This record gives sequence, C-alpha cells and structure tokens, in this order.
Amino acid sequence: MKRRFPLLLVFIFGIMGIIPYYIPHAAYQNFDNGLRNDFLRILSAFAIILGLVSLMRVHHDKIKRKRENWQFSYVLIIGFVVSGIIGLLGGVEGELFLPTRIAGFQFDIQTLYLNIIVPLGSTMFALLAFFMASASYRAFRARSLESSLLLGAAFIIMIGVLPLADRISTHLPSFAQWVMDIPNVAAKRGITFGIALGGIATSLKIILGIERSWLGGKE
Amino acid sequence: MKVIEYLSQLDRRIVYLVLAFAVMLPLIIPSVQRVRVMTPVAKLFNAVDAIPDDRILMIDFDYDPQTLPEMEPMGIALLRHAFQKRIRVAALSLYVQPLGLAKRALDQVTEEFNQRATSYADSVIYGRDYVFLGWQPPPIVPLLGMGISITSVYTRDYYGYRTDSLPMMRRVRNFNDVGILVSLSGATAPLWWVAYSQTRFGVAVGAGITAVSASEFYQYYQTGQFSGLMIGMKGAAEYEELVETKLMLVDRRKASEALGSLTAAHLTMIAFIIIGNVGYFVRRRSRKGVVK
Amino acid sequence: MTFVILAGIFALAPPTGVNAYDTPNDGGGSVTVEWQLSSDDAIIEGYEIYRSEEGKDYDLVGFIGRGRTRYEDETENDIAYTYQVAALNNSERFFSETSPPVMSKPQLFDRDATMLLIGMIIFCAIILYFINQARRGKKLFIRKITGLDAVDEAVGRATEMGRPILYCMGIGLVDYIATIASFNILGEIAKKTGQYETPLIVPTSDPVVYTVAREIVKESYATIGRPDLFDSDKVYFVTDSQFAYAAAIDGVMLREKPAANFFIGYFKAESLIMAETGASTGAIQIAGTDQITQLPFFVTACDFTLIGEELYAASAYISKEPLLLGAIKGEDLGKIVILSILAIASVIGLLTRFPILNLFR
Repeated sequence: MKRRFPLLLVFIFGIMGIIPYYIPHAAYQNFDNGLRNDFLRILSAFAIILGLVSLMRVHHDKIKRKRENWQFSYVLIIGFVVSGIIGLLGGVEGELFLPTRIAGFQFDIQTLYLNIIVPLGSTMFALLAFFMASASYRAFRARSLESSLLLGAAFIIMIGVLPLADRISTHLPSFAQWVMDIPNVAAKRGITFGIALGGIATSLKIILGIERSWLGGKE
Repeated sequence: MKVIEYLSQLDRRIVYLVLAFAVMLPLIIPSVQRVRVMTPVAKLFNAVDAIPDDRILMIDFDYDPQTLPEMEPMGIALLRHAFQKRIRVAALSLYVQPLGLAKRALDQVTEEFNQRATSYADSVIYGRDYVFLGWQPPPIVPLLGMGISITSVYTRDYYGYRTDSLPMMRRVRNFNDVGILVSLSGATAPLWWVAYSQTRFGVAVGAGITAVSASEFYQYYQTGQFSGLMIGMKGAAEYEELVETKLMLVDRRKASEALGSLTAAHLTMIAFIIIGNVGYFVRRRSRKGVVK
Repeated sequence: MTFVILAGIFALAPPTGVNAYDTPNDGGGSVTVEWQLSSDDAIIEGYEIYRSEEGKDYDLVGFIGRGRTRYEDETENDIAYTYQVAALNNSERFFSETSPPVMSKPQLFDRDATMLLIGMIIFCAIILYFINQARRGKKLFIRKITGLDAVDEAVGRATEMGRPILYCMGIGLVDYIATIASFNILGEIAKKTGQYETPLIVPTSDPVVYTVAREIVKESYATIGRPDLFDSDKVYFVTDSQFAYAAAIDGVMLREKPAANFFIGYFKAESLIMAETGASTGAIQIAGTDQITQLPFFVTACDFTLIGEELYAASAYISKEPLLLGAIKGEDLGKIVILSILAIASVIGLLTRFPILNLFR
C-alpha cells in the first residue's frame, strides 16, 4: 500500500495532465487550471517549510559541532531571521506595521533585495566570462578531427560576430551567420527531437509505474 | 620552447587578470563600433517599421539585472524606433522583477524625445503614445487572456489608471490590434508567446535574447515563428545602427559602445586558446621525439 | 431626390459575404465573424462589428482595422446571435447584410490536435510493444554510454580516496523531466555509494525536490540493507536563488573536496560556474542535462557528459532493468520513424525544387 498509493496517484494525475491538450471544454480546462494554479502552489508553500527546517538544522548542527567555517552559519541564520522579520512584519515596501526607515536609510525587503541580492547575482553572472575563458583555455585542444572542427567553428563564430569581422573579410559575418543558421540548428533540432521523445517515454514509464526509482527503488 | 610551455600552462588567475584588463580598457575609453546589420535584426526592424497606424507595438520586458547590459539597449532602440515613427507602444512584463527596469527604459526614451519636442503633438505623452500595463500573475494569464481582451487582463496599468480610460487603449482590444509583440527575455519567455499567443491568436512575435541562448531560438526563427531576432549585445548594436541610419535618429548607442569590450574579450580568449594549443602541440612533438 | 442621388454617388461600398460561425476547437464563448473586404477598403478607417442577441437591437461589439476580414467575438453559449459589419469612414457607416444566426458551444475535442493524438498513440504503442518484449525475456541491446560506464569508476575513485561524492540536481522544479531523470539516477548512485560506505552530499535548490531526494536516498540505503548510513545533514535544501545556489555548490566543492561531482538535471547559466570550480579541485565530473544551451559548457568542463536523452536512458542503463531497457528501444524506433519521415519529406522537397523539373510542368 505504501508503494501502490503513490503509483496510483501518479497514474491518475498523469492522465489528467494530458487530457487538457485535447479537451478544450471550459469545465475541464477550469478544473485543470485550478489544479495547477491553486493545488500545486499550496503544496509548494508547505514544502518550503520542510526545506527551511532542513537548512536551519544543518547550520545549527555545524555551529554545535564547530565544523569547518562554522562562523558563517551564524551569518546565514542571522540573515534568515532578520530578513524574515523585516519581510513578514514590514511588508514588501515597508507598508506594514514594522518601521523600515531610519532617517533616510531604508531597509524594507524590496530595498534589501535590490541592493544586496541583485548585485550579488549580477556579480556571479559576470564571473561566467572569466570561467569561460579559463575553461576554453584549459580544454579546447585540437586532439582529434572532431575537436579540430569544433575549434575551427568556435573561431569562426567568435570572430564572425565582431564588428572587425567585416574588415577581415566581407564574407566572414555571413559565413558565421550560416554556421549558426544551418549546421547549428540542424544539430540542435536533432537533440531536441531526442529530448522530446525521451521525455514522452520517461513520462509514460513513470505514469505506468514502470520507472520507480523516484520511489527509492523497486520492491 | 620553455616560454611556450609556460604560456600554455598559465595559472587561471593570470588568465582572469588579463581578461579583466582587456574588458575594462574599452569601457574607460569608449568608442562606437559600427556593425553590419544581419538578416534576423533587419527582419525585426522591418516588421516593426511596417506596423500600420491602427495597430500597436507590444513590448514584453522580461529581463532581470543580470542580463540588463545585453537587453536594455534592445528595449531602448525599439522604443526610439517606435516613438520616432509615431507607433504606439504597450509595455508589459510577465514577472515582477523586470518592472522597474521596464520603467527605467520607458522614462529614459520618453525624456529624450520630450527634450527635443517643439509642440504637444511632437511630444511623447503617456496614455496617448504609450502605456505601461505592468504585471499580472501568473504568466499564462496575459499570454492567453490578451487574445480576448487586453483591458480585461490589465484592468489597471502600472500607475493605477484604468486601462480602458486611456486614449490609446480605446481602439486597442486584443492581439488583433497588435502589429507585433517583441519579447526581450534572458530566459524562454519568447517561446511561451509563440506557443500560447501566436498559436492561438496568430499574433506576430519577435524576440530579443541573450547571446548564450541564441542557439535555442534559431530554429523558431527559421520556421518563421519569430518575425525577427536580436541576439545579444551585437543584435542590439545592429538595431541601433538601423535606427540611426534609416530613421536619422542620433542618440547614445550603449550596445555599440560596449562592442569594444566584446571584441577585446573574444580576441583575448582566442589568443589564450591558440597559446594553449601551440603548447599542446610542442609538448606532443617533444614526447614523440623522446619515444623515438 | 437630389439628396438620394448624391448619397448614392458618394456612398462607400459596404463589406459583403458576412458569415458568423461558432469558433471551432475551443471551450465555447466565442463566435468568429468573417466577411469580404469592402471595395473601398483602402480609404476607410476600418470595420465595426455589430451584434444582435436573439433578435434585439444591434450593439457595437468591436472595431478592427482596414484590410482585415476576421473578428472573434466573446459570447455566451446557447444564445442566438446575428452580426452585421459596417465599413467606417469619417463617422459614416456602411452596413453589410445580416449574417445567419449562430450560437457558440463548447467542443469536447480539439480537432487540431488529432494528428498529435495519433502520433502519441503510435509512439506509446511502440514503447509498450518493446516493454512487452522485454517482459517476455527478449535480450535487448543498448549501445555503450561512456558517461554512465564512468559512474562506477567515479564511485570507486571516491571510495579509494576517502572523499565524498557531490550530487547536484540543478535548479529544476520537481515536475521537470530532467529533475525526474535525476531522481532515478540518484537512487542508483545512492545504492552504489551505500555499498562502499562513501558519503553522498546532495544539496538541492527546491524544497519539494529536497523532500523527494531525501526520501530516495533514505529508501535506497534501506533497499541495500544499510538504513543506518542515511545522514539527513548530507541531503539538504540550500536556496532557490540561481546564483546563490551556484555559490553554495562552489563552497561545498572547495571545502569538502569531493572526489566525484555529478551534475545531473536542469541547469541554466550557473552550470559553468559550478563545473569549472569542480574542475579546479581535480574531481572527476559527470554531467547530464537536457538544456541544449548548457551542453557546450558541460562538455568543456566535465570529463563525461550525458547529452539529451542519454540522461533519460541513464536509469535503465545503470540498473539494466529489462522493462526500462524496452522503453529505450521503443524510443529509438520512434526516432527512426520520425527521421524516415523527415528524410522522405526532404527528398520530395528537394526534387520538387529542381529548376529542370519545370520542363515537365
């Protein structure tokens, strides 16, 4: 029963998820929308509590056992508690009862998000350029015919998209565009077909209960 | 030989340092790089240019601060194009985050035009020439709802005005009155517009996307599902080029200025790859020599 | 009399052939009105659409620009409507004839999706056939997937070095196919690591994914008879913020120094940040994603990469479960069918475009 009930649920909801694509009737569409928009959201909201409890427990344990860099766990816990209080009691833009402004200094959750999280995220994203440089420097070697072709195509595209490509040859930007338009799209389409069919097959296996690894293995 | 071997096994921190200098230098001494306009951008420009008087341009601002450097110049170039040709614009966003960025772009271009305007007719007036619809959750609601009625989905605009009271929206009912919808996104929002809005209601869709995700969108451009594409910083620079050359509108071209850094970064990476490969071949040859 | 003559001379032509019908393949509440353009279409402002409900007065329901011949009206089901279309010019209206009455109704089946349904049934039938073959004991061959053969090597290496294994599931939600495929692989890897008592670290970026991953690891250890190995502090939720998650994974890699990193699931821009950091620690790295844009980064930075549907096949490949292998065979046959159709269609397309064929037309 412990395994049969989840498998039954997966089967029922899996079939119910396919039906809206074929039945436009408002009665079923409204039911499907309610399932996706309301039911799933409520489920996710409860799951957040589980996730947060796990996170707090991990860091509390780290502090208790004084594991490596345990001091940073204090930073996480304090940040979590402070932003939780400001957000829940102060509102998104300070509209609730907790004051989120001292003189000209604003610290409502929107300000904290825009001035701390967003720049940090942008910084991490900007690191990508450097990681790309070191990865390509380390890994792009013309070891074989395939890797040489890859290298050649990479050079053509990297130069072809630059304004100076026109000065090297007037045909270079067009050729780079052709590589992106034709061989690149052909390869991507092939992979997309495989992914789409693989997705259908995987979904079918899960709906029919053939694939049970997500339950923790078969019995 | 030893120099080559040393260069091909550099500490990655040296690579980062050289790249950082290469990217920073053109930003300190900015210059506008002129570009050749490629077909995907030209098609998008023409599609926007051909919007009839009774239809509007709809722009979905769907980028976040991380992709702002690539996407904002696209939005600004589009707005300049529309306002110069007196094409009415409806701006919206599928998520909360990009709202502030959308407003920033709208305010900037509006101010540019109003500083040059010599009369009320020349000016860009909110409600008459453009509206900012704001955001409605979840994303699927505007994608499908606007096919029936835009003002039913966005009953109030970003500023709180009733959308059906705005002069521009009185003759704009749904996607039938949208000439083209251009989605500026760092993620897959343009594909949602195609999958939902274009499939159901036939609205023409164009996209402005980041360079790294270009390969995902080319297949849709090839099939004609996208009327045109702007890809990354270069795509934005190409659109800026068209706005300047075809509409004779000269303004600051941020994407074109940034191309200097892009060029320097690409050339630096190419140089490092070449050095790495030269070192690899030198070592391989010396190993073969030892074996013999 | 003069007025009538003048009105006749200066009147514009109204639209003709007005037809209204229930919009097909929808959930009701919509009527489509079509007409033929007015012969003066070039000079008018546009067309106004008027509607009468069950014989009452006509009300204006919509406006559409010139050059257009179709309008979709929002209606109530099972009420008879008639329509007129008027060409509008300088506040003057030139009305068409009335359309026949029409009622909107919801449809039970979307006929536009018929081919899709047929295709899906055929594909599912192929898969079920091969699953049935596998059930009957037929041996099914699957080609070698190097990335999956390396899983044993990666686990062995970590065990020898006495270092943990990091399993990163990406930033996908629980309903993403890549995340589900990752769950399947996580179960198999948890069993392997359990057999060798190698620590397995699984930081997740979604609370629901965390709860499922935790149960999978716990059940996997229980399946091999070692429930005591499960450490709830090793499977944990980090954050759902993309780059904060990448920073956290980087931190784990630099502090814990895992000997093997698995990046299996749905990834976006953070993929290279994690993979390159892992490469700098000297770990063996196996990646798998269905995100086409991230594949080049994984191929560059990782030792082995599962591309696209190799990720979905991984569970079957590792477990060698006959039923799962049967589904992969079915998937491959489905691809062959599609490729054959594409090839035939391409040949036909090429042949019909040869200029020389014009001689025969």
